[in-house]
Amino acid sequence: MPAATRTYWLTSPCRIRRKDESLVIERDAAPSVHIPVTDVRDIVACAETDLNTSVVSLLNRHRISVHLLSYYGDYAGSLLTADTSTSGETVLAQAALARDPQASMAIARSIVDACAFNVRRVIDRKLLARPYTVLQESIREATTPLHLMGAEGTFRRSAWEVIDTKLPDWLQLNGRSRRPPKNAGNAFISYVNGIIYARVLTAVRLTPLHSGIAFLHSSMERQRHSLVLDLAEMFKPLFAERLLLRMASRNQLKHHHFDRDTNQAMLSDTGRKLVVQTVRDELAVTVTHRALGRPVAYDELLYLDALALTRHCLEGTLYKPFRIWW
Amino acid sequence: MIGREDIGGVHIKYLHHCRRQLWLYVRGIRPEHLSAAVQTGEAVHDVSYPRHSPVDLGAARLDFLDGQQWVHEVKSSSRPTDADRAQAYHYCHQLQRLGVEVQGAVLHYPATRRTHRYPYTPEAAAQAEEDITAALATAHAPVYPERLPRTGCRGCSFADYCWTE
Ligand code: SF4
Repeated sequence: MPAATRTYWLTSPCRIRRKDESLVIERDAAPSVHIPVTDVRDIVACAETDLNTSVVSLLNRHRISVHLLSYYGDYAGSLLTADTSTSGETVLAQAALARDPQASMAIARSIVDACAFNVRRVIDRKLLARPYTVLQESIREATTPLHLMGAEGTFRRSAWEVIDTKLPDWLQLNGRSRRPPKNAGNAFISYVNGIIYARVLTAVRLTPLHSGIAFLHSSMERQRHSLVLDLAEMFKPLFAERLLLRMASRNQLKHHHFDRDTNQAMLSDTGRKLVVQTVRDELAVTVTHRALGRPVAYDELLYLDALALTRHCLEGTLYKPFRIWW
Repeated sequence: MIGREDIGGVHIKYLHHCRRQLWLYVRGIRPEHLSAAVQTGEAVHDVSYPRHSPVDLGAARLDFLDGQQWVHEVKSSSRPTDADRAQAYHYCHQLQRLGVEVQGAVLHYPATRRTHRYPYTPEAAAQAEEDITAALATAHAPVYPERLPRTGCRGCSFADYCWTE
């Protein structure tokens, strides 16, 4: 998402006030910051945030959304501006694909495949070679999204086992648990996934696609934005699993980054700051894009993927979900 | 979908630059929210003629109308193009429709300190009408127009959409 505007990340509890055309971020322990509203693309609130009607109307006028991450780092919701780029004709084309079982299964299959490809790529190519082959087989045989999700679950379980062999005891996942996460590793993964979900939502809303019409996840899911769940799949491993492994091996994660008791865990204040900072830096990392022939930031990859899906809907060009190519 | 009254300056500019761009634009592809090039364009706008407030014509926006009924437009590019001229005629057309006896358009190119004057003649008016018809036909085309040869896409903010694989 190349732009002069930026994403603002709020990592400590704060209040957002409005002063003319500026946002004022007030914090307890630190001086207030003034930000011209034209400098803001969107806001990710990773800590308790207060705001009022006049702020919301200013944000609305400038098409700025605020994404809220809950205490556990689960995505809690967003203040979305009313004005999206959604276009009737594009949404109709998207809906037509979603209702065509063959077309939507083709998209769902390629999403599951790309996701597993990326998981394998970041965890262990060798140890996951066999589970990946099995998955590809199941993908071919699957006839409904539910089958696909089942196959993906099986693959994921193998992946969790392998990832545990590379983590220190206290960061091991012992299977995936959410709401609340059972241990530190899961708390980390949940939190990063929450951030990625919010970034994909921002990306989708820059396209004319409808965030509620999905291909793999059911459009009836608890979360309203099921398309965002679809598109986040391929990107979660690039951030969550990859950064967990990297930060563990570099000894960057410490016990004090988590608040833990016997049955649940979450990031502590310092842990949350560290993780947000790390993900934020990672989103700014660039790679040379093969088709576009220019450097693109990881953050932009999310947007380009949403654009490619838009093009698939409008023009029927082949949609190849994001795969780590470097 | 859109009708004659909805055609604005942007539609006309895209029609002349690349029909596919127009086709995509009416389908909600709006990369200009992101494109750095467009942001620069807006900056030029803000600093060059701060005294005049823009006139809002709904679909079209122009920079100002002087006392002699000439429309003024500030361009961030350095070279005048056919698209610029077509857009200028379009603004004249819209003002005419609102009952303003517009004389023509003056395009300002601050980057090169040039101005171009285009009187709004009957030929220009006919051209403006034809452009609206062509823009509507393109917008409503059921099938997407093909991409330009890649060199024609240089600097186009739709390139991410058109050329990503
Ligand atoms: S990238 Fe090229 S084909 Fe696409 S809209 Fe721009 S000029 Fe036209």
